Amino acid sequence: MTAGREVLVRCDGVARTFGEGERAIVAVHGVDCAVLAGERIAVTGTSGSGKSTLVHLLAGLDVPTHGTVSWPALGPRKGLRPGPVAVVFQGPSLLAPLDAVENVALPQLLAGAEEADALAGARRVLDHLGLAELATRLPEELSGGQQQRVAVARVLAGQPRLILADEPTGQLDHTTGTAVVQALLEAAGLLGAALVLTTHDPAVAGLLPVRWTMADGRLRQGRAVSSCSA
Amino acid sequence: MLGLTWLRGLLTRRPGRLVASAAGVAVAVALLASLGVFLAASKSIMTRRSVADVAVDWQVEAQPGADPVNILTGVRGFAGVERALPVGFATIVGLQATVAGSTQTTGPGVVVGLPEGYPQVFSGELRDLVGASSGVLLAQQTAANLHAGPGDTVTVGRAGLPRVSVRVDGVVDLPQADSLFQKVGAPPGSQPQAPPDNVLLVPAGRWHALFDPLARARPDLVRSQVHARLARRLPADPAAAYTSVSAAARNLEARLAGAGLVGDNLGAALAAARSDALYAQVLFVFLGLPGAVLAGLLTAAVAGAGGERRRREQALLRARGLATGRLVRLALAEAALVGVLGAAAGLAAALAIGYLAFGTASFGATRLAAAGWAGAAALAGLVIAGATVALPARRDARTATVHAARQPVGRPGRPGWTRLGVDLWLLAAAGVVFWLTSRGGYQLVLAPEGVPTISVNYWAFAGPALLWTGAGLLAWRLADAALTRGRGPLRWAARPLAGGLAGTVAATLSRQRRLLTRSLVLVALTLAFAISTAVFNSTYRQQAEVDARLTSGADVTVTEPPGAAVGPQAAAQLAGIPGVRAVEPLQHRFAYVGSDLQDLYGVRPATVVDATSLQDAYFAGGTARALIGRLASQPDGVLVSAETVHDFQLQPGDPLTLRLQDGRTKAYRPVRFRYLGVAKEFPTAPRDSFLVANAGYVATATGSDAVGALLVDTTAPPQTVADQIRARLGLQAQVSDITTTRQVVGSSLTAVDLAGLTRLELAFALLLAAAATGLVLALGLAERRRTLAIAGALGARPRQLAAFVWAEAAVVTAGGLAAGVVGGWLLSAMLVKVLTGVFDPPPAALSVPWAYLVLTAGVALAAVAVAAGGAVRASQRAVVRSLRELT
Repeated sequence: MTAGREVLVRCDGVARTFGEGERAIVAVHGVDCAVLAGERIAVTGTSGSGKSTLVHLLAGLDVPTHGTVSWPALGPRKGLRPGPVAVVFQGPSLLAPLDAVENVALPQLLAGAEEADALAGARRVLDHLGLAELATRLPEELSGGQQQRVAVARVLAGQPRLILADEPTGQLDHTTGTAVVQALLEAAGLLGAALVLTTHDPAVAGLLPVRWTMADGRLRQGRAVSSCSA
Repeated sequence: MLGLTWLRGLLTRRPGRLVASAAGVAVAVALLASLGVFLAASKSIMTRRSVADVAVDWQVEAQPGADPVNILTGVRGFAGVERALPVGFATIVGLQATVAGSTQTTGPGVVVGLPEGYPQVFSGELRDLVGASSGVLLAQQTAANLHAGPGDTVTVGRAGLPRVSVRVDGVVDLPQADSLFQKVGAPPGSQPQAPPDNVLLVPAGRWHALFDPLARARPDLVRSQVHARLARRLPADPAAAYTSVSAAARNLEARLAGAGLVGDNLGAALAAARSDALYAQVLFVFLGLPGAVLAGLLTAAVAGAGGERRRREQALLRARGLATGRLVRLALAEAALVGVLGAAAGLAAALAIGYLAFGTASFGATRLAAAGWAGAAALAGLVIAGATVALPARRDARTATVHAARQPVGRPGRPGWTRLGVDLWLLAAAGVVFWLTSRGGYQLVLAPEGVPTISVNYWAFAGPALLWTGAGLLAWRLADAALTRGRGPLRWAARPLAGGLAGTVAATLSRQRRLLTRSLVLVALTLAFAISTAVFNSTYRQQAEVDARLTSGADVTVTEPPGAAVGPQAAAQLAGIPGVRAVEPLQHRFAYVGSDLQDLYGVRPATVVDATSLQDAYFAGGTARALIGRLASQPDGVLVSAETVHDFQLQPGDPLTLRLQDGRTKAYRPVRFRYLGVAKEFPTAPRDSFLVANAGYVATATGSDAVGALLVDTTAPPQTVADQIRARLGLQAQVSDITTTRQVVGSSLTAVDLAGLTRLELAFALLLAAAATGLVLALGLAERRRTLAIAGALGARPRQLAAFVWAEAAVVTAGGLAAGVVGGWLLSAMLVKVLTGVFDPPPAALSVPWAYLVLTAGVALAAVAVAAGGAVRASQRAVVRSLRELT
């Protein structure tokens, strides 16, 4: 581990099993890992390797069957996870009844921000990402790529310290996917946030300096500078 | 093969969707088929009750020159005739009696010759009052006129012949005098207005001895009839029974070759029941059909809830090369499965409901009707299944892409019908139809005089149907407008639930307005149906109670025998009986208005209104309290019938001289009254004209304060109090109670036992209310599970997720309740007006069953709470599960 850098999220012996008895499936075998402040990590692996499950556990969206997940430097939990953690999903994750600016402002509103401030901040972020003309459009009026970029704007608006993206380019073509990842990297850079991104696309993984590899629910070190083992 | 595979897949992987859709179809089929069971049960009840009180089925009158013996032989030999007895009618000049030194003379009358055994064969024709039950009998009114009773001698005046004297053996009542003294063969509308005032009944042998000479001298004054009782193997359906009996009567006339004409009393009773049966069908259309339509709409909502998933499945199949035609056939197979399952379940439920509610498990009064009802109900179920499952699937199959077929969430345009103002046009049309119906006097069952067929004026149904539909569409327009333009008020209203998220919640509600509006309108239509059905049923029962009260007079009525000199102080004798709240004496006299003898009721204005629950509808031109109050302020005042006002061209305050019988001399002498107003109905009063006056004034004018009846208001069950009164008074007076009267009132649709129909429709209304609120809300929230899961993944707390859910529930419930209450109230008022003919007497005001309405609202709110609570819990559980759908 690099000295002096905060541990944003840590897994200690984390495992996740689905089902019971003979039908039990171990998605993640006991994983010990930590994500440091400012890291850029690509989690790769084939379909069913457990990479999405790992990211869900890091995001607090799922509860480990064994072990613990903690966010030492991000403050107390507010609901599923601490406040400065943002999540980007693979599929369309905008709320259908809200337009782009309302979607971007939503996490702030959920965190208790004033409506006027949250909406103003959302408009600024959309403008910064060159998406101002999409502000009043509904998700169904946006393309897949536009929806993901609005999702990135939603991340940016929350000023997180940890961004967890689960296959954000999985339903996009290569060019659009690359643009989305670039937007994520740029957002992480602007905020000084750590970014953990799962992908099965080597080209996307190549954009991030650190690689974790999941295989059969086990985490193996690749070109990793952080300490992580299973 | 593919179809079977598809259906097997649906049954194993999507059983919930199939079961829910089939359940909706089953509710519609069960409601329609149950109503068929009701009609079958009620028709047979109507037939049974309508003929129960008919004492003499046929009165066959010998025509001039015909041999009565041949007629008797012909009638006795006719198939279906059980018993037949000869009866003679002789018109007399008058009767005279001298009692206690006072001589009374009547006008013209009739002497009836009855053979031995007549009262036993035709038991309802005579009711013993005083003295012997056979021999020389005086009719009750005649006995009052002559002041004669058993043991007195009455002189009979015969035209052109010496008078003869007979000794009275008893006094009887003739409950069916109207039919007994009918003019057999007279055209409709030319029957005597009232039976003869003076009637003497003598044994047949005595009658022949007295009037055979008259028959020879004046054959126009003597008539012979044969009274027949039929075997009464009648069809259950009143219309069929009427046709059967009428045909037999005409056949008998044909066989008698004009020698005899049949006075068909049984047919006449069945004719009335035939009208009532049609009214029962009317009730079905008005009250039952909307329920079936609602069940169909709910089925559509249930089937539509799975639309997104169905469209994705179809898109996958199309992507794999399945032609549109085959897709449609798969949808038809699913619709057929849902329809068959739903129809079978619905018919089974209807049989069970029919057995439990009406005691019968048949869909119709006849086999053909049963098959028709069951078939029609099942067909309706199949149509609903086709319209809600197959049609949307067919429409979606023809759409180019899944995206194009996706349910629009955000920016639905205004429906075309709003631009055309269809809702407003429908409401206007409802008003016009209602106005046109009112001009026809709200006659739904048309039975033109002299025309044998009757029909229903189905056009009048259009008013309530248009109102219901128009109100639903108007609710849609208003809800859509409120959700579109009312973001500010929505935000304000959502703040208590959502706090800082109020704007987001308001935006969500606004953009989902098509889905919310649909649910809201469904709730409104269902509540309007439930309210209008409940109010109509409650008003009907209220009027049935009024009808029973008019017939009975009070909870318990003690009727003094004719000639009894019981004064008002007799009330005190009964007041001390446990369970008696008040006793009101009621004078019952007879008074001549011109030459017309009418019943006169003397009342105590200060107490009669409260003691007898007089209804405003009993009077014209004012409330009951107001009209009786006029009597109180004008001692010589009198309330008369509308017919009397017309005959004498009376204006309020005009003097009116009546001839009343003096209590001492028994002679009729003029007494001056003043006309105050019109009485249309009065407890115990006949349907003919009658008079209501001050008891004190009548007592002073006649020298007699004798009462005709004591009206008893009770706090205990009337039958119990009646038994106690009978035990105290013995046989000296007739005691009747309203509970027994309610069961025997059979003069109108009140004879129809609507209790089963009421329970059926109110139960369905409750079920539909729960489904329209809770089920539709639950299905809608299930469709938004993904939205809630994303919000949860983004950090929404349970309370914040709950705000989205409860806000949607509040909009649908509050909007639906408001629109439903307004629509229900309007529909109730219109239904009661349009169905005026069902009520006897018509209601002065609606009766609102608050308990049931509160229960309905409670059920709806509980269903909403369960649905919303379940959605909130599911939204929290679903975060992880739904992520799999997101990725």
